[in-house]
Amino acid sequence: MPMKGRYPIRRTLEYLQKGDIIFKKKVKIMTVNYNTHGELGEGARKFVFFNIPQIQYKNPWVQIMMFKNMTPSPFLKFYLDDGEQVLVDVEGKDCKQISQHVKKILGKSDEVLHAEAQAKMQASHPANFGPKKYCLRECICEVAGQVPCPGTKPLPKEMTGKYRAKMAQSQD
Amino acid sequence: MFQVIGGRSVQAARLLAPRSAVLVEAVRGRKSRSDPVAKSKEGRIKVPVSVDPVEMVVLKERYSEYKLIMRALRMEFKEGVLRKKYEEEMGSQAELRARQEEEEHRALMDWNNQENLRILKARIIRIQQEEEEAERKKTEAAIQREQEQQEFIRQKEEEILKLQEEAKNFVTLENLDQRIEEALDNPKNYNFAIDKEGKVVKRTVLQ
Repeated sequence: MPMKGRYPIRRTLEYLQKGDIIFKKKVKIMTVNYNTHGELGEGARKFVFFNIPQIQYKNPWVQIMMFKNMTPSPFLKFYLDDGEQVLVDVEGKDCKQISQHVKKILGKSDEVLHAEAQAKMQASHPANFGPKKYCLRECICEVAGQVPCPGTKPLPKEMTGKYRAKMAQSQD
Repeated sequence: MFQVIGGRSVQAARLLAPRSAVLVEAVRGRKSRSDPVAKSKEGRIKVPVSVDPVEMVVLKERYSEYKLIMRALRMEFKEGVLRKKYEEEMGSQAELRARQEEEEHRALMDWNNQENLRILKARIIRIQQEEEEAERKKTEAAIQREQEQQEFIRQKEEEILKLQEEAKNFVTLENLDQRIEEALDNPKNYNFAIDKEGKVVKRTVLQ
């Protein structure tokens, strides 16, 4: 069964995760006004078609609204949490240029993203054992190549505590 | 089936309640509410293990010390976390960072405004050009229409002149007799053949 829609690749996880625009914390709402016809608005249409899914995937808490054929020229408007509104005119621009422009003015820069990733990595030590919520593993029996959990498969006799105690006792 | 009340309440209960009292609460196991007690357990009263006073004192001492240390450690760690959070949000670094970010933001907004202005100028120029184009096309169309009208009039006049010329050769009531006489005097022979150049090649003989 083939995939649904015109460019179904837009619905794949791989494509969505490739999106590189992550907005700063103060961006709350994004509005796109574009037109369905016209040579100059082609870039805006492509931006809406291809890049908006990626942006929404990476910024699930930003409200994104699309308006069609309301104004003669296409533009983007961002509403920040201190009440500021940022207008971006996109007439005549290519969709790549638009996404680069947006990333430059309101996206988190690469260094910031890197620093955040580092901080997150530092917070969780992969060598810790504990509840699944905080650590990767709960017990060494979960690791491949280690002794399997005695709860599922009984240990060989020589490894059990009572056998060892018996041996120790019989030797004394 | 019967679960002993665990936790902090155990020791307090042990001190307050009498020794042989039952300190258990019922927990549903295999049997349902209406099932009777088993025959072997009919008269059974479960009595928990009696407390050893010496052991109790020692345990109390140790537990209180242990709990004190644990509580202290926990508080220390909590305080560390809270302090870090406070530093993060309201420390001296935070203000610097906030100011830096604001400056960067303002710079980026300025750059954005520049871009917008640039596109605005380009758009104005484009619209002007389009208007001029439309004007030019309109005038051209008007001229074209004028020319066509002139052409039409000219053609009609030519036709009129041609008709006037031909009118001279018409047969009217006055020439009728004369023309009949002429036609009878000059019989015309339409039976001829022409070659590819248009020259007459053969004619039949008129009877």
